[in-house]
Amino acid sequence: MAFPHPRGIIPSEIAFLAEMEMVTVVPRQRLEGLELLGGPIEPLVPPRRASLPLWLALLLKRQRRANIIPPAWLHPDPLGLILEVESQHQDYKNAFSPPPPLPGQPSVQDRAALEPIARPQYTPDGDRYYPSPPFLAQNTAQASTSARDMPALPFHWVEVGNMLLDAASDDLVDPDQTRRLLKDLREVRMAKMRSGVDVLDAAATGGGGVALTGVGAMEVGEERGFVAGVVNGLRKIGASKEQARREAMAEQRANGGYDGTQDDEEEDYMEF
Amino acid sequence: MSYYDVDSILTDAQKLPCTFELEVPGLGILEGNPGEDIKAGTRMDLPLWLGEMLSIGARLGTSRLVTLDMPDALSERVMNALKADPRTVDLRALAPHFYSLSERILEIFEEEEMVDVLSDTFKKRAAEIADHAHNPRGAVGDGVDFLRGLDETERQLFRSAHDRAKEMRIWSGEAKRK
Repeated sequence: MAFPHPRGIIPSEIAFLAEMEMVTVVPRQRLEGLELLGGPIEPLVPPRRASLPLWLALLLKRQRRANIIPPAWLHPDPLGLILEVESQHQDYKNAFSPPPPLPGQPSVQDRAALEPIARPQYTPDGDRYYPSPPFLAQNTAQASTSARDMPALPFHWVEVGNMLLDAASDDLVDPDQTRRLLKDLREVRMAKMRSGVDVLDAAATGGGGVALTGVGAMEVGEERGFVAGVVNGLRKIGASKEQARREAMAEQRANGGYDGTQDDEEEDYMEF
Repeated sequence: MSYYDVDSILTDAQKLPCTFELEVPGLGILEGNPGEDIKAGTRMDLPLWLGEMLSIGARLGTSRLVTLDMPDALSERVMNALKADPRTVDLRALAPHFYSLSERILEIFEEEEMVDVLSDTFKKRAAEIADHAHNPRGAVGDGVDFLRGLDETERQLFRSAHDRAKEMRIWSGEAKRK
């Protein structure tokens, strides 16, 4: 029998990956430190905050052994602001709101004050490394660096937002409003994704590409089949043209006309 | 395009108008009168795979058996209609595997303009398909004529977009799994 799922990764699998994200909890009970495959967990002592993987935090939440502190972006105010940027701002008519800055990357506002937020971490062998997404804490309560920073949606925003709304809605500020804003954001961004079909032929020709900066994991997973299908279709239709273009280029190279300059200059050469 | 791809096989079976350049003894069976010869200049619809094979002499420069013509699905009339408004053309009525067919045809004929027209058509229709896939308006909505006119490639596109959106809704609890 054929594999029952379509190609690519299904929503529950993406959600599973998102459960590796670290969130902040306030434990209600003591728990000794655990040695997990993903790394050791600090001991939980009731009034003190701790960072746990989302799956463990949800488990403890369901057993009423901990409260989850929602990440800074999962709050009606920043979500409303992002929604406004996505739907009203001129610069983001056809683009997605920027992702959270990488460690060491200055935010848009304070390019001058370079203050790297990267804290080096150490492997079990003692080597130093700087974590990058998806191993970056983008969903802990401390993740918001400063109030001046523009709020940004992390890579797993759909999944984390949805799971927290499901399991820990009493820990969130105004869950109904948050839910509504998340839904609106998804609608706006999906509509952008779909209207972006026009730029896809850039991806179908050789050497082209399409920027997907700021697109979340779930959104990529959802649109993968469609976008890949469109690019593939365009590639097939344009195959003969692409073939002709390559032949022309190869011919020029064979004639010694190719000297490593840019493509426009090559085309000028063709007119001789 | 794999060997076992049913759509690829069906594309191969689509008819292409051909004209015989030579007289072929005993091939009258193609015309429906077995045992007879085929005269030079006979026009006939042959499947793509056969027409392509028989016309291969054209590329080698030797005398060829048949010359190929553009199929009706890719005629000037259709191209003009597509240029005017890609969304109103019923591609399925023209050819069930419209894009696969045109892809094969474009390998045989050099038609720069047709590539542009078809790419544009595909893009415009893809945007429309995505809209329909994400906002289903039921089987009696205003999009039903458009959706009925999708060719096989577009149907697969619609399917993948629609299934993904549905899975998403099921996962987020907005819809129930049936």
